[in-house]
Amino acid sequence: MRRVISTLAGAVALALASAPGWAQDKVIKFGFAEDFTKVYTFVTSEYNQGQRDYLALINERGGINGHRIEATVVDTGNEPQRGIEAYERFKAEGAVLVDFLSTPVSRAVVPRALQDGINVLTMFHGRSDAADGETFPTVFPAGALYWSQAAVILKYISDQEGGNLKGKKIAFVGIDSPFGKEPLPVFEAVRDKEGFELQTFFYPSPGNEQSSTWTAVRRYRPDWVVIWGAGGGQTVSLRDAVRNGIKLDRLLSVIWLSETDTQIVGNDAAKGVLRFEGVAYGRDNPVIKAILEEVYAKGKGAGDEKNVGSSYYNIGVASMAIVVEGVRNALEKQGEPLTAEKLKKGLEEIKNFTAEGLLPPLTITAQDHQGGGYGRISQWDGSKWVPKTDWIAAYQDIVMDLVKKTAAEFKKQ
Amino acid sequence: MFYRLAGVRHTTYRSARQLYPIPFDRYLLYTIVVIAIAAPFLFSPLTLNSYLLPWVIWSTAALGLNLLMGWAGQVHLGYAAVMAIGAYTAIHSVRAGIPFEIALILAGLASAAIGFVFGGAALRVKGLYLAVTTLAMQSIVDWTIVHVPAISGGSQATLQAPTLRIFGWPIESDAGRYWFALAICAVVTSFLLNVSRTSLGRALVAVREKDFAAAIIGVNPFKYKLLAFWCSSFIGGIAGAVLAFCYYRAVTPEQFHLEVSIQAVAMVIVGGLGSVLGSFFGAGLVLLAPIFLNNLVNDIAVALNLPLHAEIISHIPLVLYGALIVGFLLYEPLGLAKVYDNVRNYFFVWPFRHARH
Repeated sequence: MRRVISTLAGAVALALASAPGWAQDKVIKFGFAEDFTKVYTFVTSEYNQGQRDYLALINERGGINGHRIEATVVDTGNEPQRGIEAYERFKAEGAVLVDFLSTPVSRAVVPRALQDGINVLTMFHGRSDAADGETFPTVFPAGALYWSQAAVILKYISDQEGGNLKGKKIAFVGIDSPFGKEPLPVFEAVRDKEGFELQTFFYPSPGNEQSSTWTAVRRYRPDWVVIWGAGGGQTVSLRDAVRNGIKLDRLLSVIWLSETDTQIVGNDAAKGVLRFEGVAYGRDNPVIKAILEEVYAKGKGAGDEKNVGSSYYNIGVASMAIVVEGVRNALEKQGEPLTAEKLKKGLEEIKNFTAEGLLPPLTITAQDHQGGGYGRISQWDGSKWVPKTDWIAAYQDIVMDLVKKTAAEFKKQ
Repeated sequence: MFYRLAGVRHTTYRSARQLYPIPFDRYLLYTIVVIAIAAPFLFSPLTLNSYLLPWVIWSTAALGLNLLMGWAGQVHLGYAAVMAIGAYTAIHSVRAGIPFEIALILAGLASAAIGFVFGGAALRVKGLYLAVTTLAMQSIVDWTIVHVPAISGGSQATLQAPTLRIFGWPIESDAGRYWFALAICAVVTSFLLNVSRTSLGRALVAVREKDFAAAIIGVNPFKYKLLAFWCSSFIGGIAGAVLAFCYYRAVTPEQFHLEVSIQAVAMVIVGGLGSVLGSFFGAGLVLLAPIFLNNLVNDIAVALNLPLHAEIISHIPLVLYGALIVGFLLYEPLGLAKVYDNVRNYFFVWPFRHARH
């Protein structure tokens, strides 16, 4: 009997000794409450996979100064009340950063997050005026706002036309929702400056049926078309554009157009379509390669390996690369333990960060939480997205004026 | 044994007609009321903010809809739109400088007025046709909110609710907001508990059972259908305002979409048509079951270290939730209130098997 006990005790001691040192280590908590089941489905699953794989990579490498990052993932079904529930739970667990990847949910959480001082990452979604860091101290868009995306798209069109947009016809085709209308102030301001003709077309939400809209677009005979939707509506827009004989190399999309959409329309049929890109696409990047070698090769990936390098996957990776950079700044300059407030300051110290080429240069300050508004235009060549421009930012004066104006309205409330 | 019916004798009409003639029921109610009031001290902020508070507010809304669907028998598929009108009216009124108490009444009146107009259709159409009419109300209200920036709040389509002030006192704590919502819920609950024994309640039930039969016995269906829409929309407007001020603290159009209307209808049907208690059960199940199932499945997946994708883990609760609702309705089509009633009837005579009815 004694031998059995001593063997057991020895085994336990051995197990404790050989277990990775995490038990004693410090943990940083993030909360991801995203929509896996209702509206954004495949966008979320690729994005979330990218986020978790990047965190796995950091943890595999020993964490940040001995801190391991732990992310809790739950589904919200895009419902604000479930997002709020998840937020309150994350808060109780001590999360320093939350991400919802849903405009309605993050909008509903912003008042609470501002009060509690917990950081909300709203990369490529959420309130655009959150770029004003003084009004929204803990909300971080940390990427090109929709307004900046519109600006980059218009700059591209202007460059293609040799800098002269006078008399050109631009058709804006968007979903009939606040999101679809959001970029209009930028389009109107640039129109007043450059003198092109702008016509807007809206299709009813959620955008499964757009044929009458596109007939009207065809009759208008636009020189350029810009589509503004998200999720399933984008595929339908692209398909109806092809059907109506719109030249795809003169059709530009907001960031939410990916290889999934082109695949449904037909990879060859969609050849030539242009889109805004905020994060580099593909596997040809040191960070993505490292994930493949250090995470997937060990069988620790969060999902299907074939998603690695896809558009939305890379956005997920980039979002976490930015946050990890913020955590690193915070731990180095302000010491342990990491709090939400320290992370906020750490994020605001990010300067010219590119995540080894995955991102355009990003500089976040206490005043500007957007980080420059850079992006580029890329084109679908039938099998991959090819960048057509360098990382550019345009009309930031117009964008920042809008940010200031809407933020002031928010403050007044 | 639990209910101790022996010796309960009513010697006056007044005592025989009280809401809870059985002492056990009364004590149960007192206990629940005490727990509900003391909740901010008993439960964690997480429980209070994310479970109890929305439950109380949604129960208020479900009671309003139950008045229309359960008592008056009129289907309403646009109840979220009614709540939206209340929420937006209250926020715009307070921002225009009107005190919150008056804004709350205005919210009720605005919802009642618009709900009343659409309710007018109920005089001509019934059943599924009425369902479609109210669905149209939902779409029209949604469309109006999104397309009128003055209502929705500009390019971000979000309106922050100003601080809740009651008689000039700012209420900024979680407990304060909860107590306010609880007070409104208590008022609406006591109104509905009493409706059944008023002439209004009886007239509504008569209209529900057969409107021309009701007309023959002297109940004016025209008047009572409109009255039902008016009252129910008034409660919906108040509930929407409370939801905006106490829970969301910012309104966006998505918070009052068609899906929310469907959820409200589900609350009433799963809880039990025409039952006050059922509204609470229904709101609890429809609102909280998805959250609890989600957390449960997540915890199980983490504890067992299941190698499942986040996508699959998040779809399992949906399947379970659907099965739960179908299961409940198969087991007891009259709703959760009837399940409770069955249990209560069993314990009436426990340890004996048959109740004397």
